Amino acid sequence: MKKMVISVLGCDRPGIIAAVSKTLSENRCNIEDVSQTTLQTEFVGIFIATIPERLGEDELLEKLQEPLSPMGLSVLVKPLQESGEWQPPDSEPFVITTLGPDRLGLVAGITEVLAQSGINITGLRAIFRGGNDPRRNVMIYEVDIPTAINRSAFRTALYRRAEELELDISLQHRDIFETIHRV
Amino acid sequence: MLTDREILSTLEMLRNEHLDVRTVTLGISLFDCADQDHERFMQRIHDKICRMARDLVKVCDEVGMQYGIPVVNKRIAVSPVAVAACAFSASQMVAIARTMDETARATGVDFIGGFGALVEKGMTHGDRALIEAIPEALAGTERVCSSVNVASTNAGINMDAVYLMGKTIKHAAELTAGSDGLACTKLCVFANIPPDIPFMAGAYLGVGEPDAVINVGVSGPGVVKKAIDRLRSANPAADLGQLSEIIKRTAFKVTRVGELIGRQVAGKLRVPFGVVDLSLAPTPNVGDSVGEIFQSLGLKAIGTPGSTAVLALLNDAVKKGGIFASSYVGGLSGAFIPVSEDLNIGEAARQGYLSLEKLEALTSVCSVGLDMVVLPGETSAETLAAIIADEMAIGMINNKATAARLIPVPGKKPGEKAFFGGLLGEATIIPVSTQGGADTFIRLGGRIPAPVQSFGN
Repeated sequence: MKKMVISVLGCDRPGIIAAVSKTLSENRCNIEDVSQTTLQTEFVGIFIATIPERLGEDELLEKLQEPLSPMGLSVLVKPLQESGEWQPPDSEPFVITTLGPDRLGLVAGITEVLAQSGINITGLRAIFRGGNDPRRNVMIYEVDIPTAINRSAFRTALYRRAEELELDISLQHRDIFETIHRV
Repeated sequence: MLTDREILSTLEMLRNEHLDVRTVTLGISLFDCADQDHERFMQRIHDKICRMARDLVKVCDEVGMQYGIPVVNKRIAVSPVAVAACAFSASQMVAIARTMDETARATGVDFIGGFGALVEKGMTHGDRALIEAIPEALAGTERVCSSVNVASTNAGINMDAVYLMGKTIKHAAELTAGSDGLACTKLCVFANIPPDIPFMAGAYLGVGEPDAVINVGVSGPGVVKKAIDRLRSANPAADLGQLSEIIKRTAFKVTRVGELIGRQVAGKLRVPFGVVDLSLAPTPNVGDSVGEIFQSLGLKAIGTPGSTAVLALLNDAVKKGGIFASSYVGGLSGAFIPVSEDLNIGEAARQGYLSLEKLEALTSVCSVGLDMVVLPGETSAETLAAIIADEMAIGMINNKATAARLIPVPGKKPGEKAFFGGLLGEATIIPVSTQGGADTFIRLGGRIPAPVQSFGN
């Protein structure tokens, strides 16, 4: 048995997960993890499945394309790399939130600072609807900040970048949100 | 994954609703500093307080920044000085207060509490010396706070001490006449004083407490008001049961913040975590007011008929939410109604909605008492004592903490304003009816016996 990653992308509609999982099941592929999200009208699903040794990557792709292509969905199949080249360092979870008017380069501007400090993003939701209502232009990053970095220097760099981008930013340890909202 | 709603609603509380930790208070025992030599005693308390509290402000700021929750005030509460310094004279007590003031400056805290005494059943030499020293001590220092417990459900009311405190308040006001009696803003007279209050002016470290301990006072009247407003706007038919539920849930959230911050600070300072004081503590800022909550619940102003019922509901809902949120709850825990420290309550007093009598009625269901109540300068020591006695009676009979922080403003009359500045705010002087009518009663002295409620064994 080997593990494959299957991702499916296309316009959202009923029956996408059903079509993917039916094909996988018929070919004796066992789903280990699955997650989906939709942005505006676009669906994306990512599956990790164990597949029989005899079933090739291209063959699986063909079998998936058969029901999915007529639905207008793109499919990508690749073997799962068991351990990535990048190993996460010891870190603490933080949440970065920005509010502010939409403009070009907001995500690029913030993530550049994160990348420079070796900070991994574990979750990101961003909504830009234009206009000046800050609640309609929000970025929420869940990040892991390595314990080894100079946190105060990172905070200064992040806040300076936010000021350049005219964003109202906050950087808070994740525990505060769990503490307040979850029993 | 956190939800967007969890993150954005937290930000909303922080940015627009004044969510913060009102105070992190480090309790420090002075009992191991006891010494017959006055100079050596002062050196010992100076060294111990500075050593224990050296990193308090820095750690609070670091933890506050880590979680994005400001710790507004960092404070120190010490053992009752009348006990730790029992052998000394009044003038020596004043010098001790100055030493405490120096330690507060050195460690960067805004107040240090504990220049107090526990005299509900009688007074020692040290208690008398300390009370005699209070006016000069508070007038001559900036950051020292004093609390004197004169009554309890188990002991009754020490009426001799009540009278003495009436005179003490009067004298303290006169010594700070140029600043509207500022010394009195740092002096509380208590019944049933809890040993772990983090809030000033009442904070001190009780006799049964550890050598050092972190107690936290939460805030959040703005958060509660906005939660009520949101519910009423979304559901205009929401009744008081539903409104009580939303206050409870909000108090839970606010308390959880205090518990988290307090435990982190305690851990970093390597001292035990004590309690969270679940109090709605206002500041003189718009949107950070307990008085505004009364208006959100449909009253024209705090003080109008219905106010006592609203406060009872509010206080109870805050406690219910907070008790579940914290593993150790203590201090005063309830809603504060300090007249000068809450813009809205101050305004209600100015417009005449809130009289001394109504304030007293409110204190029977709230957590503190007659707090930052600004009275005419001509109010006599006997009348002040009689007002205190009434407040102590409410605490004694209802088995709860009550306090009186009264400021007779020298040279000013009802309707005039007193200004204290900063968190202490400003307020209009309210009239005291039947001035002098209680002189004979107060001079009777003695101790009002413990009520039948105290015999629970």
